[in-house]
Amino acid sequence: MNEAAVGVIRKTFEAYEPGSSSNVSFVNAHEEHLLVTFYVHKISQLCGHFRFPEEVEATATSYLKRFYLKNTVMDWHPKSVMLTALFLATKTTNNPISLDVYASHIPNTVASDVLDLEFLVAQSLAFEFAVWHTHRALWGIWLDIQNLPDSLPDISKTQGSIYESALIHVRAARLTDAEFMYTPSQIALACISLTAPDLAKKWLESKENIPLPENRTDIPPRPSATTLFASIEAIKSIITNAGKVPDVEAVREVDRRLRTCKNPEKVVGTKAYLARKAEAEKKAEEKKNKKAEIQKASGAADTDPFGDPLSEPVKPGLVDYDDDDDDD
Amino acid sequence: MDAVERENLDRQKRWAKEQKVGEGAYAVVYRGREFSTGRRVAIKKIKVGQFKDGLDMSAIREVKYLRELKHRNVIELLDVFSNKTNLNLVLEFLDSDLEMIIKDRSLVFLPADIKSWMAMTFRGLEFCHRNFILHRDLKPNNLLIASDGHLKIADFGLARDFADPGFKMTCQVITRWYRPPELLFGARYYSSAVDIWSVGCIFAELMLRTPYLAGESDMDQLKTIFRALGTPTEQEWPGHTKLPDYVPVGQFPKTPLRDLFTAASTDTLGLLSKCLLYEPRKRVSAAEALQHPYFYAIPHPTHPLKLPKCTTQMAPRPLGEVDGDGNVDDDVDMTGSGGTFGAGVKSGLGPGVKSGAPNNTNKGRLKRKITSPMEGADGDMSARTRSIARKLDFTKERYVKSP
Ligand SMILES: Nc1ncnc2c1ncn2[C@@H]1O[C@H](COP(=O)(O)OP(=O)(O)O)[C@@H](O)[C@H]1O
Ligand SMILES: [Mg+2]
Repeated sequence: MNEAAVGVIRKTFEAYEPGSSSNVSFVNAHEEHLLVTFYVHKISQLCGHFRFPEEVEATATSYLKRFYLKNTVMDWHPKSVMLTALFLATKTTNNPISLDVYASHIPNTVASDVLDLEFLVAQSLAFEFAVWHTHRALWGIWLDIQNLPDSLPDISKTQGSIYESALIHVRAARLTDAEFMYTPSQIALACISLTAPDLAKKWLESKENIPLPENRTDIPPRPSATTLFASIEAIKSIITNAGKVPDVEAVREVDRRLRTCKNPEKVVGTKAYLARKAEAEKKAEEKKNKKAEIQKASGAADTDPFGDPLSEPVKPGLVDYDDDDDDD
Repeated sequence: MDAVERENLDRQKRWAKEQKVGEGAYAVVYRGREFSTGRRVAIKKIKVGQFKDGLDMSAIREVKYLRELKHRNVIELLDVFSNKTNLNLVLEFLDSDLEMIIKDRSLVFLPADIKSWMAMTFRGLEFCHRNFILHRDLKPNNLLIASDGHLKIADFGLARDFADPGFKMTCQVITRWYRPPELLFGARYYSSAVDIWSVGCIFAELMLRTPYLAGESDMDQLKTIFRALGTPTEQEWPGHTKLPDYVPVGQFPKTPLRDLFTAASTDTLGLLSKCLLYEPRKRVSAAEALQHPYFYAIPHPTHPLKLPKCTTQMAPRPLGEVDGDGNVDDDVDMTGSGGTFGAGVKSGLGPGVKSGAPNNTNKGRLKRKITSPMEGADGDMSARTRSIARKLDFTKERYVKSP
């Protein structure tokens, strides 16, 4: 992904100013990841500032990470994407806040900065707005653990603190890519296991002998306990190793280099940017002319409410996907 | 072009958009087609540019929940793509809705037909509730009917999830005639029982062929409900007088449902009364309803293919209004063509329980989306003219298209 992006941007540099890409030092995949992780952490800080519920924070971080599965920081800086991802998350989790209020709480940001990227972010998420969260899974498992027949004798004493410290691990897990590889409940169990390994094991074992519902072919076979334990251990090591806020100095260094290797088409004022904009305008103009011709030719039959649909079957070839101005 | 933009364009290219078939509060609906298969679809185009807070909440809710739900009795969202400042939802195409069928005076409903529609509604709703999603806008107009007779719950613009029991929610949901008393009293903590009340109202409407509890204002809605079902006692509905917007609206005696629904079976009234219980916690759940003796008793539900079908296809309704004649009095029908169940003989009651106040023009112009930015823009006249024009179109087309 990073290589492909570098290739495209290098070509763009070359197209507008031959030879100009040779002395650009592009950021690599690891550095992209570092930068994104840093802004995942930033989301958490912003949510604290706004006092957003945990669901907003968790959703926004998933959005930001998912966005960079399909995009590069050299095209879109995570600082801007973060703001849009968070704003979108307030809406998709039903905690809406007015855009003006939102923007006014963030320095050097106006409403349009947030909105300009909203469509791109939504598209990058393939409009999959619902996110299944690890902290919810943790809560569910936690309730269930309390029903274990012979709970550890000291559980009631340490109960609160086990849950609290597992939740801290859940938050650390948000800084990692674990959610792309494991289910929320697996990650949640790993977080309990980091705090109270015996308890996690005991809970998992208690589930082993529960029979699957009969006559259900839609439930995949249950993984063996060994497989599950292996996954849990793998997640634990991901959280321990990667669940950290990146070093600010390292991030700053990447950010500095990013300034020189940003996709020139996306930097306002550059030659490449102006050229691309002109191209887009030309296309829009052509489309408009073409549409006017089609409408003239067909006598605008399909816009007349009294038109006879039989006389003028709409040919797919003539359908304009772009007709967003025919009824507004 | 960015990879993401390219993907979006590829998706967009799969679908051909054809003529406009309807208009909702915040969207225009077009008929469309999948290029590769010729499959008919509906493309719901949501205008985004007009909202100052970006993507509109209704659109977000609809996309979020329909992306998650896949069930035979829930409308299927096939694809989503954007186009400059528009969001386009590609939905399965559905010919008509239950409101049109109820209003089509040429159709006669058998008890088995109503049972079939109710079963499909409860199945779709049970699936939503099982996935912790409240619909919050159930009414005949949002229950769409496919060409094979299957009923699909549509319009998730007011839906939300309810995973946390103690979570405060807005009471400004559900179109008034289908809104349960706890919401009218301003309850901010409620449950899936709100949808069940709406289904109860729809159940009654299928038998009466006219809205059952048609209040003229929120206050009048409560009065209408109490007139029909009796004023609740503290014992029937503990704590209701403590709800935020509680006001006493008068004492009305309980009249047995049997008085209004003279031809209905005991099982029918048994289930109906369980949907319309005042105490939300006692109201039947969708899962329980499906186990109710009503669904096992003779007659068995009609096969969807054999259900009464609209003679005209879906007409565009601006702002999702009730079509043309909003005057429920016009619907009082004692000739028997429609009211198989409603007696219509109890003088002073008539089918449907209404307030004594004379009808006013508000009747047909129900505000249906509290969050929608524009509302009531079209006059009645234009609505009527347009729907007639469209009906003509469709009638012609139908003869050509039917196999
Ligand atoms: N899947 C569909 N197939 C055919 N027509 C549809 C479909 N969905 C909506 N329509 C038409 O468009 C109108 C408005 O759509 P709706 O989803 O109810 O919008 P809103 O949420 O604004 O009420 C409907 O009343 C109906 O006439
Ligand atoms: Mg609607």
